[in-house]
Amino acid sequence: MDWTKQIGRYILVMVLQVLLFDQLQLWGACHPYIYILCLLMLPITLPHSADMLIGAAAGLLMDVFCNSLGIHMAACILLMFIRPYLLGVIVNDKDRLNEQITLHTLGWEAMIKYMAILVVIHHLTVFSLAAWSWAHMGFVLLETIVSSIVTMLIIIGYNALKYR
Amino acid sequence: MQNLLKILLRYSNFLVFIALEVAAFLLISYNNAFPRSSMLSTANAFVAWQEEQISNMRGYFSLRSLNEQLAAENAELRNQICSMKSDEVDTITHYVPAKVVQMTTDQLHNYLTIDLGSNQGIRRGQGVRNEEGVVGIVRTVGPHYSVVLPIINTHTNISCRFAKNDYIATLQWNGQDCRFAQLADVAAHMVVNTGDTIVTSGLSPVFPEGIPVGIVENSVLKEGDSYYTIRVRLNTNFKRLRYVEVVQNAHQQELEELQHGLD
Repeated sequence: MDWTKQIGRYILVMVLQVLLFDQLQLWGACHPYIYILCLLMLPITLPHSADMLIGAAAGLLMDVFCNSLGIHMAACILLMFIRPYLLGVIVNDKDRLNEQITLHTLGWEAMIKYMAILVVIHHLTVFSLAAWSWAHMGFVLLETIVSSIVTMLIIIGYNALKYR
Repeated sequence: MQNLLKILLRYSNFLVFIALEVAAFLLISYNNAFPRSSMLSTANAFVAWQEEQISNMRGYFSLRSLNEQLAAENAELRNQICSMKSDEVDTITHYVPAKVVQMTTDQLHNYLTIDLGSNQGIRRGQGVRNEEGVVGIVRTVGPHYSVVLPIINTHTNISCRFAKNDYIATLQWNGQDCRFAQLADVAAHMVVNTGDTIVTSGLSPVFPEGIPVGIVENSVLKEGDSYYTIRVRLNTNFKRLRYVEVVQNAHQQELEELQHGLD
């Protein structure tokens, strides 16, 4: 795996996230977190616990920019924990997971399933932890649905353009 | 012992997961108890600097409406000077102008960062207003920047009163619309009309008496309830907030020490 490429993409995505997507205030309920693209596309070559540490670090950096200490960290750790099990269920040919997880390696159906499940889990965790009470449950669900759709469109669009 | 080690190794991934999540939740609960108090927040110099750059870029797009606002404010100030020439001058409160470098309006816990810190005499608990009305209360202070808890944060409570009869109430926010806040503790015997003006109470040293907060948009008294549900249209337009003033009360420390001494 080419690490410089992964890190370069991570920096680019974080810049886009902080300068563009965090500034969007669409309808009050749309907060797409596209930075998880880098976590979702990492190949399954590292030990599982190293994956979770990478998730923790990426989440913590996002937290610093969002003023939400720990929230993105918790969501990213959960995402990295579930990821290999989910890929194990969705993908039959295990050799494919040694490369980057892209539209090319997974194909449309598996890619959409994989993205939809993990993006919704991540966003739901972030928004419910930020609300920190059941009183805002309806709004949290709305926020999760709207933001997940936008995040998925962007991640799958990026894949469709680059890795078809 | 060997069996224990085997079990630990077998579940090592799960244990790492639990350990990391526990760390994350400790951070979250620490942050919920003392919001913005750590270095890992926008009071941090680097993040605040980056926010300031974004805010500067955006500033160019709002120059026109800003000019109109400034002109209106000038006029208002001139009027005040005229009326002050006769009245006694308020020497206790002092206003320090500041610029907003970062702000959110669409979260449940919104914050704004201003470009003044302890070096400029800003302290936790000082009030923040602009020419339209109340903005919020200073929460965390760094050397060059401070983080303010605005009205539109579900943690904020601000003591207010009705301008017409001095009835005291508490202003809170339900997390939904940054143009409206809710007024709590108004008992059913009060007569509340749409259009009633709400101002600060002056009961705490945070704000002097009579700074405009908003006007009553609608009020509902459900049958069997002993308190009104009141929606207040806020005077401050948080979507366009660029310049604010920090309220410094010369007697704040003395008042707080006296009040804490009672507990």
